[in-house]
Amino acid sequence: MIELRNVTLKYGERVILDKVSLTVQNNTIKAVLGPSGVGKSTVIKLMLGLIKPNSGQVFVDGVDITPLKETELYPIRRKMGIVFQGNALFDSMTISQNMSFFLRENLRLPDDEIERCVTEQIHFAGLEGYEDQLPENLSGGMKKRVAIGRALIFNPKMILFDEPTAGLDPVSSRKILTIIASLKKSNDLGAVFVTHIIDDVFAIADEVAVLYQGKIIFDGPTDNLHESDHPFIRSILSDKILEL
Amino acid sequence: MPLTSANTFMDRNLFRLKEFILTMQEFFLFALRSFATLPKAKRYWRDVLDQALICGVESIPIVLVSSISIGGLMSMEVGNLLEEFGAKTMLGRSTSNAVLRELGPLLMGLMLAARYGSRNGAELGAMQISEQIDALRAFGTDPIAKLVMPRLLAALLMFVPLIALSDFAGLQTAAIVAEHYHKIDPGIFWNSIYPRLVPKDFVVSFLKAPVFAIIITLVSSFNGFSARGGTAGVGRSTIKGIVASSGLVLIANFYVSKVVLDIMH
Repeated sequence: MIELRNVTLKYGERVILDKVSLTVQNNTIKAVLGPSGVGKSTVIKLMLGLIKPNSGQVFVDGVDITPLKETELYPIRRKMGIVFQGNALFDSMTISQNMSFFLRENLRLPDDEIERCVTEQIHFAGLEGYEDQLPENLSGGMKKRVAIGRALIFNPKMILFDEPTAGLDPVSSRKILTIIASLKKSNDLGAVFVTHIIDDVFAIADEVAVLYQGKIIFDGPTDNLHESDHPFIRSILSDKILEL
Repeated sequence: MPLTSANTFMDRNLFRLKEFILTMQEFFLFALRSFATLPKAKRYWRDVLDQALICGVESIPIVLVSSISIGGLMSMEVGNLLEEFGAKTMLGRSTSNAVLRELGPLLMGLMLAARYGSRNGAELGAMQISEQIDALRAFGTDPIAKLVMPRLLAALLMFVPLIALSDFAGLQTAAIVAEHYHKIDPGIFWNSIYPRLVPKDFVVSFLKAPVFAIIITLVSSFNGFSARGGTAGVGRSTIKGIVASSGLVLIANFYVSKVVLDIMH
């Protein structure tokens, strides 16, 4: 379980998050919805301890990670996989090297075991035949699937997606959403995904938190979003896609 | 109004000073962390080898070009000058001082700041803005141990042989120019060098290698890690890295020479 408790984050004088509280239960798909530049990606980075809040606390499975040092955060981060908005694939490594990176770096498994895990993820991502390609030779959707495979390879309990369908064509977007939805069923995983596309939220999210002007203005089951009378939520429900 | 302008001017400069001090503080912490990760070299030996190839073997052509040109130029110009005093036989000694102690290492340092420093700055800057460095951290890998330490260690190991190569090529070129341009017998040229070579000549020259390696690698890597604001930000951070490391190489070149010559006079 991940919990943000009264988290405030500022860049200089600019307040990005203002006393934000948010909980993500295991085995739940939670969407963080909001317009671009509102601090959605920041929420994910806070959950991983990649950035620290100015005030407030971030709990991962009951442990407050805000005072932890970088090296103390490593075991916490191993509970979560992340898929960055731009995928953040290591561009000097092949697809199989990208996927096996975590295993080689941290688990020091035998080569045949690593190979078995990579083959499994390559199959899951539908990328057979691309193992030795560099990321630059893949399409946007394929890169996203590699990034998902890389995040899943160490069996995390939770997976964090930063704008998983941004910049993808409708077919690739649908594939990625199907993969995210299937993770909960087949791998018993929880997921957090930040997005500005409301259709994606209704397609797969169990719960949604709406972030607007640094505050959470709605947090609850996705189906209950229609009941909100907040003007911003009313406007996004009518427009269906947030202003970019 | 003038008072307000003065206040604004003061505020702006105070802000810049504060920013500079904070950047220096971050840089020294970055440098300390880079040295602290040196014991992890065994784990990242492949990365060290890759970087040794990039900063060492692949830098040989540019080091040779700079050392050959400076050796030839020094021999020609100093020979012309000495001819006026009828002291052409001292050409070897005069040229070797300049090539071994000062211009050879300095030019090599500047060339490596441009070549290796720009590569580090651009590569790490691109990794920073494409979130690859965050990805390393997210996967439990220390980006300084994985990316900076191998660059630092490779430079520390490779800059010494590069300086030796640079000195050798510079002196050989000087000897060739002396023989064919100034018609000085090679025996006379080399005899004016060998008996007068003293340990401090080599200490000055080879001490500059690790100093330049540390400056170039840490300054360019720090600027790469600090890149913000898309591709333009990578360009800005790369330029900052090259300018700062080149300037520091010039300053360090002077102080290393001065300190060693003062101690070993």
